[in-house]
Amino acid sequence: MTETPSDQADMRAPADDILRAADLLAAAMANREACDPVRLLIEAHGLDGAYAVQKKLESDAIDRGEVIVGRKIGLTAKVIQSQLGVDQPDFGFLTDAMEYGDGEEVPMSRLMQPRVEAEIAFVLDRDLSEEGLSLGVVMNAIAYAVPAIEIVDSRVRDWKISIVDTIADNASAGLYVLGGTARKIDTLDLRLCGMSLDYAGEPVSTGCGAACLGNPLNAVLWLARAMLRHGNPLKAGQVILSGALGAMVPVTPGGAYTARISGLGSVTANFSEVSSSGSGKDE
Amino acid sequence: MIDLGLIAQRLDEAAHNASAIKQLAEELTIEQAYEIQKQSIDRRLSRGEKRVGMKMGFTSRAKMVQMNVSDMIWGRLTDAMIEEEGGTIQLSNYIHPRVEPEVVYLLRKPLAGRITPLLALDAVEAIAPALEIIDSRYDDFKFSLTDVVADNCSSSGLVIGNWQWPDTDVSNLGLILSVNGKPMEFGSTAAILGNPIRSLVAAARMVAEAGEELPAGSLVMAGGATAAVALSSGERIELELESLGRASFSVE
Repeated sequence: MTETPSDQADMRAPADDILRAADLLAAAMANREACDPVRLLIEAHGLDGAYAVQKKLESDAIDRGEVIVGRKIGLTAKVIQSQLGVDQPDFGFLTDAMEYGDGEEVPMSRLMQPRVEAEIAFVLDRDLSEEGLSLGVVMNAIAYAVPAIEIVDSRVRDWKISIVDTIADNASAGLYVLGGTARKIDTLDLRLCGMSLDYAGEPVSTGCGAACLGNPLNAVLWLARAMLRHGNPLKAGQVILSGALGAMVPVTPGGAYTARISGLGSVTANFSEVSSSGSGKDE
Repeated sequence: MIDLGLIAQRLDEAAHNASAIKQLAEELTIEQAYEIQKQSIDRRLSRGEKRVGMKMGFTSRAKMVQMNVSDMIWGRLTDAMIEEEGGTIQLSNYIHPRVEPEVVYLLRKPLAGRITPLLALDAVEAIAPALEIIDSRYDDFKFSLTDVVADNCSSSGLVIGNWQWPDTDVSNLGLILSVNGKPMEFGSTAAILGNPIRSLVAAARMVAEAGEELPAGSLVMAGGATAAVALSSGERIELELESLGRASFSVE
């Protein structure tokens, strides 16, 4: 594709805005100090511009030595979509540095204004890189399902996000915890499986599989197609956090949150107390 | 001196005529509120209705916090409240009805007093998916704790799906409440006190505190698992409950 001088001029300004937005979010992350929404910078470039910001953050992470190990799907509940004025989910990247084990201590010092949600994670054992993706192909590519807690976080102050803000901010991905009970999906009712997210002995969020786009597999198919379109197809070995099965809950430092998903077992995110070296973040 | 019988009569008539009344002006104790409930239901029994069991309310921590209470509440169920599963309810028989997805227990042995979950389960003949139609007799569905207890905890109709053997673990069953085939609420039975069997344990305790027992054959509605959904005419309501099946009705 050849570019005329005027095309180049048109491309320059957006690129600057996108880099500035990425810088703001990266600085917020590095300093644990929330920033203003970035939508004013990049709104004109639409969702593509927001994904361009996210792409910059992803390549920065790779440059730091992190490895992309999967993707997360966000906005998989109809009510959340309508709150943000969109009719589709969004996605973000997951790196090896974001992953914690079941029950392992999750340091609050790595988080700013975290919230937890219970999800089903899928592990792929085949690439999803061919055109013509269908539910059948996706089901064939899934090795296992495991229970997961996604710790979402926003680099934007007070979570005052628009769709553009959250996509640019890596779909508000923070950290995540995977359970160790891997199940083949043919033994599961992914649509009707019950979910309870428990804190201090009480269910603080409940739901079921269908809360995620009718069935978490629908979300995985959407993601597989979206990644193919973005020229970055899903690969064997990658983990997919498919989307919340119930409302998200703000994290209490020092708290342990256990997600129970019927047929899938459970997983616990065990947060540290606030670390004094964590610097001034939310309150 | 508060005339509890008169309040019971007003609430009974409001339910019978499907017409809302103002919230109670009297300052009541919780014991007086339960006495009004009892007298109000006694009026139904004297018209020939039969007692069939009890319902539990405020069975989620969130609801208890919202109402600023530390215990559940309960109400009395009669046979006239049972609506046909798969059938049609008449909106004109209700004031401003809402529906909640639930689990219902059928007892094969009497229950009363402080018991363990194991003893509670031993008394269960069967379990079923259920829809409770709640319908406050107060204006705008607004009430204090004593108001709602006096009003039989808003209980007004119940629709019970297929009975299943009680060996299903009901602690975390997923559920979808649909209106005209569109999912409206997603949830889990875990929202009922973390496990609905705890609601049955609480039912046995609370009924004994009132000097009564749950006889064999009683129904116990364990409590709502999601927010209630307001009903309108022309709707088809369906509950789909993991492992237990479905319950549905239409609204005319």
